[in-house]
Amino acid sequence: MSSVKIDYKKELESASKGMILIHDPKLLIKLIVRSIVQKVQIDHAGMILYNPQKDSYVLAISHGQSGARIPEGFIRFDKKHPLIRLFVEKEYKYLVSNRNALVSEDINKMLWQESVISNGNGTKEILHQVSAQMPKLNAIACVPAYHQHKLLAILLLGQRHDGTRFEQEELDFFSALASDVAMAIQNAQLFDDLKREAERNRNLFIQTTIALGGAIEAKDAYTHGHTERVTKYALAVARQMEHTGVYNFPPKFFENLYIAGLLHDIGKIGIPEAILTKKDKLTLDEYEIMKTHTLRGAEILSPLTGFEECIAGVKYHHESYDGRGYPEGLKGEQIPMVAAIIAVADTYDAMTTDRSYRKGLSRDIAISEIQKFAGKQFNPKPVQALFELFQKGEL
Amino acid sequence: MSKLLIVDDEIDIREFAKSFFKRRGIDVFTASGGKQALEIIFLEKPDLVLLDVRMEEITGVDVLRQLRKANQFVKVIMVSGIEDPEIINETKALGVVGFIHKPLVLEELEKIVMSEIKL
Repeated sequence: MSSVKIDYKKELESASKGMILIHDPKLLIKLIVRSIVQKVQIDHAGMILYNPQKDSYVLAISHGQSGARIPEGFIRFDKKHPLIRLFVEKEYKYLVSNRNALVSEDINKMLWQESVISNGNGTKEILHQVSAQMPKLNAIACVPAYHQHKLLAILLLGQRHDGTRFEQEELDFFSALASDVAMAIQNAQLFDDLKREAERNRNLFIQTTIALGGAIEAKDAYTHGHTERVTKYALAVARQMEHTGVYNFPPKFFENLYIAGLLHDIGKIGIPEAILTKKDKLTLDEYEIMKTHTLRGAEILSPLTGFEECIAGVKYHHESYDGRGYPEGLKGEQIPMVAAIIAVADTYDAMTTDRSYRKGLSRDIAISEIQKFAGKQFNPKPVQALFELFQKGEL
Repeated sequence: MSKLLIVDDEIDIREFAKSFFKRRGIDVFTASGGKQALEIIFLEKPDLVLLDVRMEEITGVDVLRQLRKANQFVKVIMVSGIEDPEIINETKALGVVGFIHKPLVLEELEKIVMSEIKL
């Protein structure tokens, strides 16, 4: 008999509560294994966990006295390993079902069971191999944990300090505990899968955005490479502003700026080609139609939830700091920073690239022109950042 | 008695492997780093060295290079947690008798160590 009687039901309840509170299953298992060693007074306890990446089992956690402990993450068990086969393969599983565990002192008895002697499927060999394995793992009992019939973990239990055996009540407790652990691992795995799925969706979204950005350029040959360059300049300007600390960017700003940059002219898809590619000066009516690309762009993107900042960038990139821009005539800080940055980047690119009717300006002239309009057409902060980038030779 | 040297900066690995191979009648030495490993190799002339690739002060690959430079052709098995083909190729060229990846199958480690140490 162990010196202190443990209330197993209570222990199990507190462990289950831990499962809910702790989302990192490995940390949780570590805590559980440690408390088993202390409370049950054994020299070693460990946990073999299924590793889906390697499709094998790894001895991931081990706690106990020096010498009894097994280095964590050092030993792997493939599916052909006798210990795994014993717990996974149908013809052997019945051997452990009545005790919920494999106890080394039972193995001898098992070898003389009628069913083991008479069947020819290698049960005897498996039992012999497992019996030789357990001392190497410093275990006298192995408790399997399943989730929907899949073996997810094996709890290893070492010798008790006072040399007494495990009682069935204890093994049942360990089995319940191990299944809870398996459940926690499974949940964490699902959570990881969901996160990965969300990440995949995001990448897909960005790729779609890039393709969509490309669609604008296909319609308007003059702007070839324009969206990409504007996006590049806009990100550089924002990074410079962050570097000098003139503006406190909210989280996800850079991601939103990136997407908004790629899509800032998406509304041009709805502008007639005759206007879009016209070589002569636009008439006043035509110009009014051209101006609608900001609202059209915002409309195209409006079904996307969670992209309000991107949409603002698209919608307001032709607003003017002095309130003379479009579509809404916003003024000063009313204009979202994402749009104010794109406005500067957009103008800089338009000025420095060749058009059919004129050659592009040199960088220094373009920048000094833009600087003249700081505080008038443009927010002075991104203009200053653009100038700084130019000075550093990073444009 | 055959001599085995285990070089690893993780104490749990040293202790576990030590007791594992001691039980198989092998005289086991351990070193927690490259410098200590080189000393033991020169003094004790082990029959086989289990050498961890990633260690803090000197890497296992550096230890191996220094050994070969000093004309020490002791048998070496590399143990590594990462699969870097460059390291595998270089250590092969330096004549290691095996390369084991962590996490490892215990029986495979046992097999290769026992067969190399008895040759």
